Amino acid sequence: MKKRGVGIGCMWYGIGNTGLPNPAGAFVDWKDDATVSLMVGAADIGQGSNTVLAQIVAEELGVGYEDVLVTSADTGVTPDGGATSASRQTYISGNAAHLAAQEAKKVVLEEAKEMFGVEKNQVIIRDRRVFVKGQEENYKSLEEVIGGCRRKGKMTIGHGWFNPDTTGLDGETGAGSPYDTYAFATQIVEVEVDTETGQVEVLQIIAAHDVGRAINPLQVEGQIEGGSTMGLGLALYEEVKVLDGKIKTPSFATYLIPTSMDVPTMHPLIVEEPAESGPFGAKGVGEPALIPTSAAIANAVFNAVGIRITELPITPEKVLDQLAENQ
Amino acid sequence: MQELNVVGKSVRRKDALDKVLGKSQYSGDIKLPGMLHVKVLRSPVAHALLKNIDCRAAESLPGVHAVLTAKDIPESNTHGIIIKDEPVLVMDKIRKIGDPLVVVAAETEEIALRALSLIEVEFEELPAVFDPEEAMKPEAPKVHDGGNIQSIRKIRKGDIEAAFAHADIVVETSYRTQMQEHAYIEPEAGVAYLDGDVVVLRVSTQNPHFDCKEVARNLALPLNKVRIVQAPTGGGFGGKLDISVQIYIALLAIRAKRPVRLVYTREESMLASTKRHPYVIKYKTAADKNGKLMAIDVIVIGDTGAYASYGPGTLTRSAVHATGPYEVPNVRVDAYTVYTNNPTAGACRGFGVPQLAFAHEQQMDMVAQRAGISPIQVRLLNALRPNSQTGTGQVLETGVGFVETIEVAQAKALEVLGRIC
Repeated sequence: MKKRGVGIGCMWYGIGNTGLPNPAGAFVDWKDDATVSLMVGAADIGQGSNTVLAQIVAEELGVGYEDVLVTSADTGVTPDGGATSASRQTYISGNAAHLAAQEAKKVVLEEAKEMFGVEKNQVIIRDRRVFVKGQEENYKSLEEVIGGCRRKGKMTIGHGWFNPDTTGLDGETGAGSPYDTYAFATQIVEVEVDTETGQVEVLQIIAAHDVGRAINPLQVEGQIEGGSTMGLGLALYEEVKVLDGKIKTPSFATYLIPTSMDVPTMHPLIVEEPAESGPFGAKGVGEPALIPTSAAIANAVFNAVGIRITELPITPEKVLDQLAENQ
Repeated sequence: MQELNVVGKSVRRKDALDKVLGKSQYSGDIKLPGMLHVKVLRSPVAHALLKNIDCRAAESLPGVHAVLTAKDIPESNTHGIIIKDEPVLVMDKIRKIGDPLVVVAAETEEIALRALSLIEVEFEELPAVFDPEEAMKPEAPKVHDGGNIQSIRKIRKGDIEAAFAHADIVVETSYRTQMQEHAYIEPEAGVAYLDGDVVVLRVSTQNPHFDCKEVARNLALPLNKVRIVQAPTGGGFGGKLDISVQIYIALLAIRAKRPVRLVYTREESMLASTKRHPYVIKYKTAADKNGKLMAIDVIVIGDTGAYASYGPGTLTRSAVHATGPYEVPNVRVDAYTVYTNNPTAGACRGFGVPQLAFAHEQQMDMVAQRAGISPIQVRLLNALRPNSQTGTGQVLETGVGFVETIEVAQAKALEVLGRIC
């Protein structure tokens, strides 16, 4: 018989290393034609940091996303960005890039202030146009203002670095503030358990993630979907079997990961409760996406057939054993 | 929230076109003039004293340019993200199956593999330990000289004994979680070459500046004479934070004076890379009759295998996150990082938190059941909110969107499932 159940799993996740300094740096070079070179140590391993960091810089400088070229993760030319780990690059390298952009922007604002004869805080840069607040039609192009800087021998470059405000953990009590900001999530899943075979099928995953601010909503959804799928693998399929130190599952013939056939209907939901210290409020999402999935699946299995599986992965054998024990 | 021009927009990824058009040059795609191919000889045994390595036959094989062992590492011969406890090439003691013994650079991969088969290794096997709880016992075989308990992370808050004594509901469960492979689509790979007196590496990595420091330290080079350029990287998930091919290829490029490339096979990647820590979690929860949490008492044992890698960081994060996203006034957590002769465990997406979530979320459902409330209710009752205090005593003033995630997920569940839990 096939029985359906619904389960919930929640999580929190501190962004960045635990109670340890973990800074990142960035360089910005705003060129004569208003295009930008951004140099960051952050390694983009497919999660999309180059894209997100370019968006942050483009937003700050009032240029287009396409105007920002990112050079990343080259120790010959980029400052240290720390590891791409701990869901930290949007937050930490994002802040570094933001600060670097602000430093370069200061020079341009100073020049615009003189050109327009107003206070710096009256100057707005948007869509590559520089104008005084409320007088958008009377704009100068960014190239013109940057040209003004050059004629005075001023370079429009900036550097920035950011280290989250944390304290170390006490050795005996663990007391401390190990992270500056935390991501939160709730996932609700629906499963179908086959009581004849013990097979668990995940039908739907609802995943609501507080990411602070989604710099790129599609990428956030991608992370949520990919992470939940990895969490599904952790819950049901994946296990490196080791006997006397030897891996018995050394290839994908024996180590099973979810295929597209196993991926259920996904409902990624973005919640934005801004981090005060984040770039435009952003936190991180890379790891949170998989954290609650296996828990939610385990709770859904209980909801479906009344058994508690306390050992991962939730294999058909374990389900059948528990069902037999419950009889 | 303020509407912005570029932030908050789903712009096209910077790497999208190159990837869909197949133009991205991953490390394994890079071919350099005169490039040699590298292979690594690895230990077939889990725990042994290395007595002798005879490389003479391999060295004299035509097409072989360099055969290097531990004695060829200029300095240090250690690496490790938190503790430098892992040899680049084993000098005297093997601690796991797959420990690297010899590296070979040859004209082709086939010749390099043939050279490996000609190397004779003598070792004396030692009693090994594969179960972390066994490894914690004083009489267990020692993986490292300092003992098998690499570290303990403790969290202490409030009065545990009093809370459990007064609790209406106590839920006590043991959990076990498995070893997980990262299973990135691209195995570890890299090329190395000399540009003047700078050794340049293009590698698949999550951690280029760390790589630079580890290469420089082992090769006795200044940091600015080692340039790590991350090649397009086919995923990492924590498995490409540690050193893989980097030190071998840098060393061989210098010794052979030729560009070199090393691409792990899938099997070698599985064998050599870190894994998600398998956990034993003993989790005890105290609550009042309404389901309000009073205390947690948690023991976590993480099997970090032969080397620490990110082990202590992972277990520390587990300890901090053991409460789940809930207010718990009394907390005791002991999180042990334990050495065994198993494959090394390190960083893996979630960093010790998925294991704890698997435990604390089932605990919460069991508390709810005993209190006669729903899983949603028990979570809302105990949720971290603005100005809540965490298990480490941190007050979260702002940026706490947890309750909203519950509400949003609940609303969606009603819409698409017609029910909540």
